[in-house]
Amino acid sequence: MSKKQSAPVQQPRQYERFHWAQRVAHALLLVSFTTLGLTGLPQKYPATGWAGAMIKFFGGIETTRFIHHVAAGILMLLTIYHILDIGYKLFVRHDRMSMLPALQDLKDGIQAFLYNLGFGKRRPQMGRYTFEEKMEYWALVWGTVIMGISGFMMWNPLATVRLLPGEIIPAAKAAHGGEALLAVLAIIVWHMYGVHLRRFNKSMWTGKMSEEEMLHEHPLELADIKVGLAERRVEPGLLRRRRAIYYPVAGILAAAMLLGVYGFVNGEKTAITTVPPIASAVPIYVPQTPTPIPTSLPTPEITLTWDGGIGALFQAKCGTCHNETTKLGQLSFASYADALLGGKDGAMILPGDASGSPLIQKQQAGGHGGQFSAEELEMAGRWIAAGAPEK
Amino acid sequence: MSKFVKIRHKPHLAMIGLIASLMLVGLAAFLVRPAAASGAPVEPLQVDNTTCLYCHGKVGLSHPMPNGESLSLTIDPGHFNESAHSSKACTDCHTDITAFPHPELKAESLREVSLQYYTTCRQCHQEQYDKTLDSVHQKALAGGNTNAAICTDCHNPHTQTPLTDAATGELLPEARVHIPQTCARCHNAIYEQYKASIHGSALIGEGNLDVPTCIDCHGVHNIQNPTTASFRVYSPLLCSKCHTDKAIMEKYGIPTQVLNTYVADFHGTTVTLFEKNSPDQVTNKPVCFDCHGVHSIQRVDDPKYGLTMKENLLAACRRCHPDADANFPSAWMSHYIPSATKYPIVYYVNLFYWIFIPTVIGGMIIYVLSDIARRLIERRKGVRHA
Repeated sequence: MSKKQSAPVQQPRQYERFHWAQRVAHALLLVSFTTLGLTGLPQKYPATGWAGAMIKFFGGIETTRFIHHVAAGILMLLTIYHILDIGYKLFVRHDRMSMLPALQDLKDGIQAFLYNLGFGKRRPQMGRYTFEEKMEYWALVWGTVIMGISGFMMWNPLATVRLLPGEIIPAAKAAHGGEALLAVLAIIVWHMYGVHLRRFNKSMWTGKMSEEEMLHEHPLELADIKVGLAERRVEPGLLRRRRAIYYPVAGILAAAMLLGVYGFVNGEKTAITTVPPIASAVPIYVPQTPTPIPTSLPTPEITLTWDGGIGALFQAKCGTCHNETTKLGQLSFASYADALLGGKDGAMILPGDASGSPLIQKQQAGGHGGQFSAEELEMAGRWIAAGAPEK
Repeated sequence: MSKFVKIRHKPHLAMIGLIASLMLVGLAAFLVRPAAASGAPVEPLQVDNTTCLYCHGKVGLSHPMPNGESLSLTIDPGHFNESAHSSKACTDCHTDITAFPHPELKAESLREVSLQYYTTCRQCHQEQYDKTLDSVHQKALAGGNTNAAICTDCHNPHTQTPLTDAATGELLPEARVHIPQTCARCHNAIYEQYKASIHGSALIGEGNLDVPTCIDCHGVHNIQNPTTASFRVYSPLLCSKCHTDKAIMEKYGIPTQVLNTYVADFHGTTVTLFEKNSPDQVTNKPVCFDCHGVHSIQRVDDPKYGLTMKENLLAACRRCHPDADANFPSAWMSHYIPSATKYPIVYYVNLFYWIFIPTVIGGMIIYVLSDIARRLIERRKGVRHA
């Protein structure tokens, strides 16, 4: 303020270019577009290292998708705001549709390009929005429509394929990815050059443009302003009447569109959230019946004499340890004589006294290495009781 | 104390037989025992296998266990001599058998005998043993499940023939067939599924060595729990080991683009990123086996189970998308790369952007470059603006 007072003459005249609401909308668009690009492009190239690193940075793919969806929600709300704002300008204020593309824009573009190549005398003189700005605006509109529709299809695939073939879902994914790449590249090439590199155009942040800037970039608009054609004054009574019609209509429209966004975002539980069981699951531990282990041959029919089979039984059951070579406990059952001789602790067989024979006592106790079956034990007992005959 | 009394007090003896002479047995027993008692290291019994087989070669030699089971003590010399261990001495593994009579067996059941003995394999197979420590079986065992497999459940040390080629270390062809039969001892229900699958029937029925046997997916010795989240998100890479191998797949006319088409899809993208960034992520995004089956995998054109049968694919979709209608399965491009005939909408959308993006961005770049050039020329000439 003091500057203005001290040097009022040098202060260049400023023209308002963007209303504060437009600037806020732009800032929100900047945030949502950038977020969408940063969280979306790595999903288009998931196999690359940089994509993996970016998704990790955002906290994993689920979180990345959540952020992407939030940013998409902001963009949808911005779109609703923009539609209502345009409605106000057209129906209430009857503003000129300065953003509409016209044949003149094509001519301006060609003239500008020819001039750059050295085939023209001068740059085209342009109005409120240059052909570059219109191109960018309509590219954004086109992109938002494509991204919105394809995004809806991917977000709500079940509802989509009730009306359309299933193939539309991967097609939507392809379009979403292609359009995203186009949008990001266009912003980098066109927007960065047009408003940052060529000349740093701050008007989207300050809202103002100096007379000199206006003269260079929007001379036709400047002329309109100077002669009072730029702004159409609406008589206050008429303005009030138009508003009285527009506000309720806009309210209903806004409610309908917000409902649409709500449906977009919450309309479908596409998949169950729990981990499904594996369809082919069978019990894990199902052991096979083990192969039977071969057992010794059944005891043959024997008579109760050593030679008649008792000797063979003893050799089969006891001979592993108590044979003439191993003679464990100095006991051997290799022959009738050895058997009756006994071992280190004396006789094991007391002919005629089965229950008193240490052999029977030991076998009855059970758990012996060469253990008789009950039948064999009974036979041995009867043999001893019968006097343990050799023949 | 007489030898006889000893045996009376140690009734649960696993008996082995003859030494060359009774005198040698007695001598060994008496030489070794006092040394053990005085704390000096126990010398392994230096006997050859024929000595042990004198008794243990007898059919039906067994030992009653306290729980009523019978421990077979018979070794079939024929099988043993054909086994990988034929050059080993019995006492190399049975290190506790230092004398005759043998020490008392302190086990209640057959399982306990195995559990007490199997660590002896470490002596020669330390690497494999260490791997088993990281296995699902060993974890189950540590958790108290004594049914969990230990070395000897898969490799009977007395009959196990070599499984790998001694020169190359490669699995022998007969071993590939033998492996599922080994796993079947405990996992018989899975084996029955596998045997009827495209892989199992080819291996077991036809001896086809291209198909996976159990260990190709599950690993060997360090077998991991296949029901974990990390196994799940890694599993597409398991399948793709063979299914992206042109040399194998060409023989059967199976396309090798199954992995990249999966990764390009929403599900595969997600699973791939989980595998990279958070391998333990729990997810219900499908992996190969969710649609194709685990052990019961069939041909995709199988008239009964194949996924090319629309109703089978829809059923697979509906496991996670219960509200899916008949149109929904074609949202999945079935591993096809879109073309003018297969998924043409997708193909033409891609084609459009292939042309549209370079055209638009290229045009922008040409204009921007012309503008830069013009402004540089004007600056040099001192012209500020037109």
